[in-house]
Amino acid sequence: MTFVPLKPIPIKDRVSMVFVGRGQIDVRDGAFVVVDEVNGERMHIPVGSVACLMLEPGTRVSHAAVKLASTVGTLLIWVGEAGVRLYSSGQPGGARSDKLLYQAQLALDDTLRLKVVRRMFEIRFGEEAPQRRSVDQLRGIEGARVRKLYQALAKQYGVKWDGRRYDPNNWGRSDPVNQCLSAATACLYGVTEAAILAAGYAPAIGFLHSGKPKSFVYDIADLVKFETVVPAAFKVAAKSPSKPDRQVRIECRDAFRQTRLLKRLIPLIEDVLEAGGIEPPVPAPDSQPPAIPEPDTIGDVGHRSQ
Amino acid sequence: MAMLVVVTESVPPRLRGRLAVWLLEIRAGVYVGDVNKRIREMIWEQVGLMAEEGNVAMAWSSPHESGFEFQTHGENRRVPTDHDGLNLVRFLPQNTN
Repeated sequence: MTFVPLKPIPIKDRVSMVFVGRGQIDVRDGAFVVVDEVNGERMHIPVGSVACLMLEPGTRVSHAAVKLASTVGTLLIWVGEAGVRLYSSGQPGGARSDKLLYQAQLALDDTLRLKVVRRMFEIRFGEEAPQRRSVDQLRGIEGARVRKLYQALAKQYGVKWDGRRYDPNNWGRSDPVNQCLSAATACLYGVTEAAILAAGYAPAIGFLHSGKPKSFVYDIADLVKFETVVPAAFKVAAKSPSKPDRQVRIECRDAFRQTRLLKRLIPLIEDVLEAGGIEPPVPAPDSQPPAIPEPDTIGDVGHRSQ
Repeated sequence: MAMLVVVTESVPPRLRGRLAVWLLEIRAGVYVGDVNKRIREMIWEQVGLMAEEGNVAMAWSSPHESGFEFQTHGENRRVPTDHDGLNLVRFLPQNTN
């Protein structure tokens, strides 16, 4: 018997997300399975072909399953009701110190940070950001535009709209369209975080957003939010289905596929950071190369090889 | 990205499990997926290392004349043959070694 190593494949070649609710998640014959104890059913999940796995309340995950998910570079996200994130793990980040230092350097220098924020504005609205504006001013312009976008979409889909309102402590209390939006954005944040980790960057170091574990995730997700998950949420809210969160996921997955989101995410991250106009740091002349060279991989640079 | 089908016969369970990490097992030993060349080659490499006494056939859609290509691993009564540039399969009688 030979030992055959298992390695991650690139994020762009994967399915966006799979939700698992109820069941014992385990490994059988080296494959990722969800076992339903009541019926004795077993469901195989091609975990290596998924960007992120959303675990809903009622799931139990074995140690072997977490190990397998991390080996194939799949982000596990524990979500609560309506897809509100509770905790995430399974795909360790921080594999690339050069990428982390590069990102930190861009975020620390005000001039570079403004350049990155301006590039984000440009990508988002398809036009150059107004001259001589601070990050704060750009944020204000952005906010006003976003409010208009929400109103326009509400009108287009015939949904009553009183603004983006939600109580993070009580998701059930917001109106149906806001619930759909929360569920939809949670899907987008999941795949975006998986892409950021796979590219070797830090989810916490943001440019427009800051001070949160997923600041950079919000920055990148905002760039594509209004062409993907927001219309998907309004579309579902307009039909007021009996199972809105299920419908939202289906619409989101469709939107991700149609916009080829997983192919675009990592290039988008690189594009935004390149706007700073600096080169990623080179290793210090006195630094030592790794004693054991990194093995070849077909995955993304941020995936840790075993 | 292209459609990929893998059919396994009497291979060890750990290869079957390994294939299910990326592909969907729609029937016993029959796996389907949509992957690109690099990932297909990576999967094939693992088949070669883990199939032991079993045999495996892998087919994928391609711009090839027939619209697909395939390759096999291990012994089977069905043997691929090149028929004037077209890949066909010879079916050997049971008593052939």
